[in-house]
Amino acid sequence: MAQRFNWLRSGRVITGLVIVTGLVLCAVFAPLLAPNDPTEQDILAILVPPVWLPGGDWAFPFGTDSLGRCVLSRLIFGSRIALTVAVCGALGAMVLGSILAHIAGYFGGWVDWVIGRVVEIWLSFPPVILSLILMVGLGAGLQNVILAIILVDWTRFCRVLRSDVMVVAQRDYVAAARLLGFSHWRTITREILPATLPLLITLMSLEMGVAVVVEAILSFVGMSVGAEIPAWGQMIADARADIYSAPWVLVLPILAIFVTVFGFNILGDGLRRTLDTRLTQTERA
Amino acid sequence: MSGPVVKLLMRRLLTVIPTLIMVSLLLFCVLRLLPVDAAAMSLPPNATNDEIAAMRIEMGLDLPLIQQYGIWFGDMIQGDFGTSIHFRTAVSTLVLDTLPATIELAVMAMGFATVFGVLGGLWLFYARGGAVEVGLDLGSVALLSIPEFLWALFFMLLFGVSLDLLPFIGRLGSGVARPETITGFLLIDSLLSGNMATFMDALRHMILPSVALGLSAAPPIMRILRSSLMDVYQEDYIHQARQRGISEGRILIRHALKNAFLPTLSLMGVQFGFLFGGTLLVEIIFSYPGMGNLMVDAIRNADLPIIQTVGLTYCVMVLLISIVVDVLYLVLNPKLREA
Repeated sequence: MAQRFNWLRSGRVITGLVIVTGLVLCAVFAPLLAPNDPTEQDILAILVPPVWLPGGDWAFPFGTDSLGRCVLSRLIFGSRIALTVAVCGALGAMVLGSILAHIAGYFGGWVDWVIGRVVEIWLSFPPVILSLILMVGLGAGLQNVILAIILVDWTRFCRVLRSDVMVVAQRDYVAAARLLGFSHWRTITREILPATLPLLITLMSLEMGVAVVVEAILSFVGMSVGAEIPAWGQMIADARADIYSAPWVLVLPILAIFVTVFGFNILGDGLRRTLDTRLTQTERA
Repeated sequence: MSGPVVKLLMRRLLTVIPTLIMVSLLLFCVLRLLPVDAAAMSLPPNATNDEIAAMRIEMGLDLPLIQQYGIWFGDMIQGDFGTSIHFRTAVSTLVLDTLPATIELAVMAMGFATVFGVLGGLWLFYARGGAVEVGLDLGSVALLSIPEFLWALFFMLLFGVSLDLLPFIGRLGSGVARPETITGFLLIDSLLSGNMATFMDALRHMILPSVALGLSAAPPIMRILRSSLMDVYQEDYIHQARQRGISEGRILIRHALKNAFLPTLSLMGVQFGFLFGGTLLVEIIFSYPGMGNLMVDAIRNADLPIIQTVGLTYCVMVLLISIVVDVLYLVLNPKLREA
């Protein structure tokens, strides 16, 4: 039982969890935390610098953008879009990718061949290009951003997990389960999935970081949620016009994206290390 | 040596053809989802419904999807990539005008990625087991969390706007003479025409975009080089080399690096593919006149012929890169060469 929570001893996992939890809190309590309405424009307070710079005003702790909107409030509300996309996009990509990976790795043969070819076709698209093309076809909007992320990134799961499944499927206990009369479905879910789960969780954490970046990219080129909803990529795109007069409007959303992605990556890195050793320990036992 | 290489090339080129057909089919179908009437868009706004209907038939939009695809693919094989709805020029001309700029950027960025990746990987490897390693390793996770477009914006702010060290808009300064187009590659053309001032200006314009791209592609290279060096150092021949009194530096360069480089090379191929897609964002940020800007403009104008051709061109480049990497892998790996 003590071993089960080994991962909590990793500094990386803790760091990642702290950052991610902070973000979740920001997103959930955004209306309470944000000092101002993120979409309210104050024409009299345009490009107010943040409080630590001369001319700052505590009414707008992180200053305002070119339309007089509160940067801090927009950052806080922007975390909602980022997290929604991270959770839904990564979850969807994981489900689609790992189902296909388990089918391909378990059954092998022509099924594996077909799935392998599909992955190959997908990988000949640079991810940015494929997601842009999908957004052109699907049209802008939060749901379509999530759908595009799922349709682009399932290959990340499929490629890595497939070889893992193939190794596990060769194990004696899997053959034993089949001999006992387990159905294919039951063998995959009860015998193989528990063994591939650590890798799956690790990939999921990394994918959440990727999803945040993809959403930022899409909203940066104006193909994500509409301009009326605050999103970090959108804030960056808006701030480019004032790069000389108000660099902080550009720097703050950049930092927000970096911290978020770093949180997911360090969490994934920590999980990979701790869960991997757990796997080898059970193997040794 | 040439026998296996030719064989591999033939085999790879043969597998690329079905992949390209599937890629183009996928592109075609996805873009047909777009709720845009290409016929109405290519006519003046005052066109009547009859005229639009006639145009639909002329453009083949009334045919079944698979037949439309057949026509498009057939035209492409003959070198006809259609006409841009917005620019009214052949798409092939537009792509050929912008592709060299993108290739130039991607190649230079990959150069930086290789330098950063190899140096960083060696540093990570040297620091193994020490206290520095933890810091470096955390640093590499942090680097991994910075995508190319954030580097690009950050460099633009720091070196362009604040420090005013390097230019960050376009491919050439406003007063600089453009060399005659020979290859389309600005650096090569300016050298060929002996115009050093233009060459230096083009080079200065490329530093920020290519370093930004290179930095985003470097961390995975660092990490795989470090881990493959670790693997190689477990091998007997390293111990034997040590016992023969060969210096550590020589062991690293002559024995270990040569073998550890092979897994790194295949990853670099993958990274080059990603990086090629990343040029799109960097081009937009630095207003660099390459394929990425062409693509994004085409998306804004719903200019389908450009979008599908540029999309396909990106895929062709990724597939070409993977073939080149496979050939390099074969040339560098004596085990595979004999097989």
